[in-house]
Amino acid sequence: MRSIRRLMNTRDPRDPITSDDLMRYLDGELPPEESSRVEAALAASTELQRELAMFRALKVDIQDLSFHPATYRVSVWDKVHKHVSRPVGWVLLIAGFVGWMLYGAYLFATSAVSPWEKLGSGAVAIGILLLLASVIWEQYRGWVVDPYKDVQR
Amino acid sequence: MQRQLELELIRKCKSGQSRFYEPLVRAYEPAGLRLALAMMGNADDARDALQMAFIKTYDALPRFDLRRSFGPWFFQILRNQCRDMLRSRKAKFNVEALDERFEQHAVESERDPERTRQRNAAKELLWRGLERIGTEHREILVLKELEGFRYAEIAQILEIPEGTVASRLYHARNALREALVQMNAEYP
Repeated sequence: MRSIRRLMNTRDPRDPITSDDLMRYLDGELPPEESSRVEAALAASTELQRELAMFRALKVDIQDLSFHPATYRVSVWDKVHKHVSRPVGWVLLIAGFVGWMLYGAYLFATSAVSPWEKLGSGAVAIGILLLLASVIWEQYRGWVVDPYKDVQR
Repeated sequence: MQRQLELELIRKCKSGQSRFYEPLVRAYEPAGLRLALAMMGNADDARDALQMAFIKTYDALPRFDLRRSFGPWFFQILRNQCRDMLRSRKAKFNVEALDERFEQHAVESERDPERTRQRNAAKELLWRGLERIGTEHREILVLKELEGFRYAEIAQILEIPEGTVASRLYHARNALREALVQMNAEYP
């Protein structure tokens, strides 16, 4: 009979009340037939009643905890917004910069300037870009190991 | 927030319109802050955790399954963020700045200052008890009692089977009771 009940996912009324049953009863998570089983067990056991009363008192006291309204006054939205909207700005900036650079390089390469001048100017431009890239790389490496990088204050 | 409205906002955010994220942040901020405060123990760390959780949530939105509920998913990210911060850096749950966290009942205190004092002392004791129990116990108590989540939602947030929630709650409540008894608090 018990195995059939188990298959049907119901419990024998004579089954002892487990701590899980008590928690589910306390939190209103038991179906009605299971609640009746717990209530019958409660009516027969003062020890179980005492345990339930203790857990109920604890539950009510925790629910009574509250926070000062000032805690909610400062919203995190501004900082979140800065972060979530920043990638769009960076993408546009980098795309625009790369576009202008390529266009400028094209104009310069197709201009009537002598090859030596083109070579010299190109070397200066590439040198500046390499230096800039190395600075960015160093900054990035420092940022990766920074334990507080996720915190924006 | 209504489910349909929430879904529409998430769809807009997924398409890259970050301004539609604001109503979601505003809607979940108070509950998120309560959970973060209860897990971290102080307002500064709680705000840091909350802020990071919202950022991570936004970054993960493209992968969000619209059939799921946003709330438990967000709280799952927030809970993981709090745990990471508690594990990896200086942040440690501590009952500091109690005055900042406790709500003062102004009207009540005018009528009955002694009762208010007792009430605040009891709250402080409870916070101290929560401080003593582990993070795992504290988070499930907060999700159940302060946020009022159902067992199915708690299971989703904590990434555990639903059948485990009751037993975790039992152990958490027992741990809190024992902590309070050790502090000479009386419970029936």
